[in-house]
Amino acid sequence: MGEVVVITSGKGGVGKTTATANIGAALAGFGHKVVLVDADIGLRNLDVVLGLENRIVYHLVDVVRGRCRLRQALIKDKRYDNLFLLPAAQTEDKTAVSPEQMRELCAELQEEFEWVIVDSPAGIEQGFRNAVAGAQKAIVITTPEVAAVRDADRVIGLLAGEFDLRDPKLVLNRIRPRMVRYGDMMSIEDVIDILAIELLGVVPEDEQVVVATNRGEPVVQDPRSRSGEAFRNIARRMKGEAVPLMNLDREGGWVEKLRRLMGFK
Amino acid sequence: MKAEATELELSHGLAHLVDDHTILVRRTLRSGQRLCYNGNVVILGDVNPGAEVVAAGNVIVMGVLRGVVHAGANGNEEAVVLAFRLRPTQLRIAGHITRPPDDETTAPDQPEVARIRDGVVTIEAFPGWLPGR
Repeated sequence: MGEVVVITSGKGGVGKTTATANIGAALAGFGHKVVLVDADIGLRNLDVVLGLENRIVYHLVDVVRGRCRLRQALIKDKRYDNLFLLPAAQTEDKTAVSPEQMRELCAELQEEFEWVIVDSPAGIEQGFRNAVAGAQKAIVITTPEVAAVRDADRVIGLLAGEFDLRDPKLVLNRIRPRMVRYGDMMSIEDVIDILAIELLGVVPEDEQVVVATNRGEPVVQDPRSRSGEAFRNIARRMKGEAVPLMNLDREGGWVEKLRRLMGFK
Repeated sequence: MKAEATELELSHGLAHLVDDHTILVRRTLRSGQRLCYNGNVVILGDVNPGAEVVAAGNVIVMGVLRGVVHAGANGNEEAVVLAFRLRPTQLRIAGHITRPPDDETTAPDQPEVARIRDGVVTIEAFPGWLPGR
């Protein structure tokens, strides 16, 4: 019996889909049987980020409507044999599915997969309600921006109040250590101070993500990528391993190295 | 308990804080959550930005108050707002509406109390000690 985890944020563009793809790929890389569910009906993206767009025949709404069997709609990843995608429909909208149907769907997937990871749409309306309906755990993702933190806070309140998901975990995405150091960006502490939930991981800003995403490859595959390492660490923490937060100050070019050599921190 | 309240009254003139209509909220109010109560409100947690507390009486926050707060919402000018850290988006008492000055980036790291004095909302440090301690 697997676990259903929803990845949500409230605000759009903070990295839900990228995080879903990478956490899923990382878990699959560790040998787990994983399915990613794209609950963003009408604006599907997860298939593109995974580079599986051209393989879609059936989608989530087909399954729910009984137009195909669940197994027919699942797409096997190119890289990992134990990673699957249940794509969203592009030509339907959020009202095509009900929370009750999502609950049934997640329960069915849970029978077969160790991890069912649901990529939630932005917002707090029906699409979000559908995505959250079948989940037992939630990951809230945010960036160190005031608006994103505000929306994350709203979502945490909703999760606890209406959906009984009491202990969501936080992923802080796209942090720039140097800007934090100069006081130009909210720090990890600033964000935790407001949201007051357990931190699952911190992902540094990384241009490599843009490159990898556009190519349809998860960045966790790149052993040198900092953000890939961060996502692998998040996956390990989800499995229950104790992994310390990585040292974000390790980034930087020759200026930083020189600075460290000269003893400035 | 009663004795302590009396001491509070003696020392800080906050006698009206003691009242029968009071609720205790044992959680943090998050963005989008609104609490309305026809009496005093005591919050054991924070009030985050985007959250709103409206009380006919006083509001006490045993944490950081970052959201919007309205004490004495029915027009009670005696109402006060007390918080461990008072950083409201907007603070209202009865018919008075205030917000923190735009250029003020730091606030003192100590409990503060807001109340109306001579028709103006004033904020002062809350001593945080009780006599006899």
